[in-house]
Amino acid sequence: MIYLDNAATTKMSENALKTYNDYASANFFNPSAPYKQAFKVAMEIDDARQQLKKMLGAKKGDIIFTSGATEANNLAIKGSEREGNWEYVFSMGEHPSVMETAKAMQREGKNVFFIPLKKSGEANLDELEKYLSPKTRFVSCMLASNITGAVNDIKLLSSIVRKHCPHAVIHVDAVQAFKKIEFSVDDLDIDLLSISGHKFHGPKGCGALYVKNKASLKNIVYGGGQEYGIRSGTENVAGIMSMLAAANEIDTAKNFEHVLKLKKAFIDVIQSNSVKVIEGKNPYIVMLLFDGVNGETLVRMLEDEVIVAKGSACSSKKAGNYVLENMGYSRDQVKGAVRVSFSADQTQAEVIKAAKMIKAKYLELYERTK
Amino acid sequence: MKAILIRMGELFLKGGNRYIFENMLVSNIRKKLEGLSYKLEKTQGRLVINNYENEDELIERLTKVFGLVSISKAEEIDATVESLEEFFGRYKNLEGSFKVEVKRGDKRFKLDSMQLAKRLGEIILENSPKLVVDLYSPQIVFKVDIRQNGKAYVFDGNISCCGGLPLGSAGGGLLLLSGGIDSPVAGFLMAKRGLKLEALHFHSYPYTSPEAKQKVLTLAKKLCAYVDSVKVHCISFTKVQEAIHANCSPEFMITIMRRIMMRIAETIAKRENLGCIVTGESLGQVASQTMQSMTVTQNVVDLLPVFRPCIAMDKEEIIKIAKDIDTFETSILPYEDCCTVFLPKNPVIKPKLEKTEAEESRLNVQELIDQAMATEEVIEIKK
Repeated sequence: MIYLDNAATTKMSENALKTYNDYASANFFNPSAPYKQAFKVAMEIDDARQQLKKMLGAKKGDIIFTSGATEANNLAIKGSEREGNWEYVFSMGEHPSVMETAKAMQREGKNVFFIPLKKSGEANLDELEKYLSPKTRFVSCMLASNITGAVNDIKLLSSIVRKHCPHAVIHVDAVQAFKKIEFSVDDLDIDLLSISGHKFHGPKGCGALYVKNKASLKNIVYGGGQEYGIRSGTENVAGIMSMLAAANEIDTAKNFEHVLKLKKAFIDVIQSNSVKVIEGKNPYIVMLLFDGVNGETLVRMLEDEVIVAKGSACSSKKAGNYVLENMGYSRDQVKGAVRVSFSADQTQAEVIKAAKMIKAKYLELYERTK
Repeated sequence: MKAILIRMGELFLKGGNRYIFENMLVSNIRKKLEGLSYKLEKTQGRLVINNYENEDELIERLTKVFGLVSISKAEEIDATVESLEEFFGRYKNLEGSFKVEVKRGDKRFKLDSMQLAKRLGEIILENSPKLVVDLYSPQIVFKVDIRQNGKAYVFDGNISCCGGLPLGSAGGGLLLLSGGIDSPVAGFLMAKRGLKLEALHFHSYPYTSPEAKQKVLTLAKKLCAYVDSVKVHCISFTKVQEAIHANCSPEFMITIMRRIMMRIAETIAKRENLGCIVTGESLGQVASQTMQSMTVTQNVVDLLPVFRPCIAMDKEEIIKIAKDIDTFETSILPYEDCCTVFLPKNPVIKPKLEKTEAEESRLNVQELIDQAMATEEVIEIKK
């Protein structure tokens, strides 16, 4: 079985799993407790914070550990919300954990604006100024899409936002970018950034939010005051340490080059007149729009040999795929959507084999249903 | 002593074989109450449960036994004037209006109904001077039921049950269970008339999802609150649909599909000794549920009756029952079922038998049925 759904989740690395076990059993102590064993764990978590901050390329700011990216994104948005006539801006390509939060704010009567997407999947920054004003409080735009290989020019976005919006906080969902494409938060000039452990061979149930200025972020839960009082709750020690172990193993630049080759090899095989290949600067994800078939059926026909996704796993329970539709593709085209996402531990031979199988099953399905 | 008085439904219409229905009902009650401690007693025209714990659970389960019309939470007293007088003497300082209703199942009791009601009313009034008698719209009703077992039961009201006939008393039937709103309701309604159910589900994996099949099993589980267990026969319909799609005119897709489903249903029903087929069809609801469509689909069923208890119901009426029996929320989960795969744009609304048969003759129907039957998976769902 060849697993090409790495954007949904990845397999934990051996080292991450070993670390997880260690902190779930031998070093299981509650970091807030007053004895030396617990203090040692607390120090290790603080060290993990510093290491992660360094990996993100941040000189200032802090890391707040969360239960994953959904919580990190919610904390970023709801924690930045303020009373008054402020405006909030989101890209139309955001993950449901951002999009649904934005829609909920809209229902509550907040001024919410959406930046449209280009057909290639990136947020259309040519139109960004239209949605900005001195009243803009919050701008959220993902770095790498979870649907396509699109990578947004966050540096350009932040330069425009900084010019027009003196009070704006910029948030970036970097779940599909962290440890896959190189970036630094200082270079991007942003305030908040979300990551998720299980997307880079770490554990599920653990993520983090980078916060440049924690004084500007409100807590959204109340409790024992952990994570600077912004995110109370006993730290997921095993998750945090294991996520760090997974991140430390990855050589982003080297993997990027390798996955770029995987992507090219894959596309060479899959390319045909009956499939629209949507690719972008992030080589880890390729979106395929197959003609005349149902993508979900194709996913299930392949499941014993190749695992691929229909759109995004987080939204597969809902009909359609709003990001592809926001990019300007028709319902019929979106129906045939299959997402392929690679992992750096895969070989060219594997992805070529997978591409051939996908192609063969597609033709079979097409014949059976035409 | 606390007791639950159980009233049986239509069984009184039965003549010489009434005891068979009663025994079946008692056995069904015992099955339903498995795991609870209680004592069940049969007394002329009633069943009585006493010596029980966990009253709420007991009542909840009894309300789901087909064949019961109502139950009452009662106080069980020796059926003597003295015991009753002593019992009613305990009510003190009540306010408002009241009446006493007496029913004598045991005509040997020394006072007649009116006399006893009057006597008990007097005792109540003695101890509650602010209480007044109101025979038409009283705030409090004391009901007294005197049975032949030498006991009297005092209660104030009835809890409605499902009615119908004891499960299994009508034999067994095969329910076509799609995952929609109507078929579980059809199953419930027929089970209520005493039909023990097995279910038949067609899925079209990989066109339909595993969730769609799971949804049907969840619906079967929900029905088990009433029918205790359901054997679900799951059949892959994929090859049949592909063959129809490849060989027949698109507008006949659904008609031919349903004819093949009916043939498979009859084959399974006969094999499992089930005496009928049950569907959730409602006249005119969709193209395949017109009179003409049903004529054409029923035509392939050789011997068995096809029962369609929802046939004359509006969707709203069906939904109300679906909500009452707690299947609605599951039925509306958005997973594609096999009928929506290969759905033609313009299905034929009034198919003609000859034309349908001509379309169908392009298929090797028996071979397709055999292939589909070979995929059968039987899943026993229990409460």
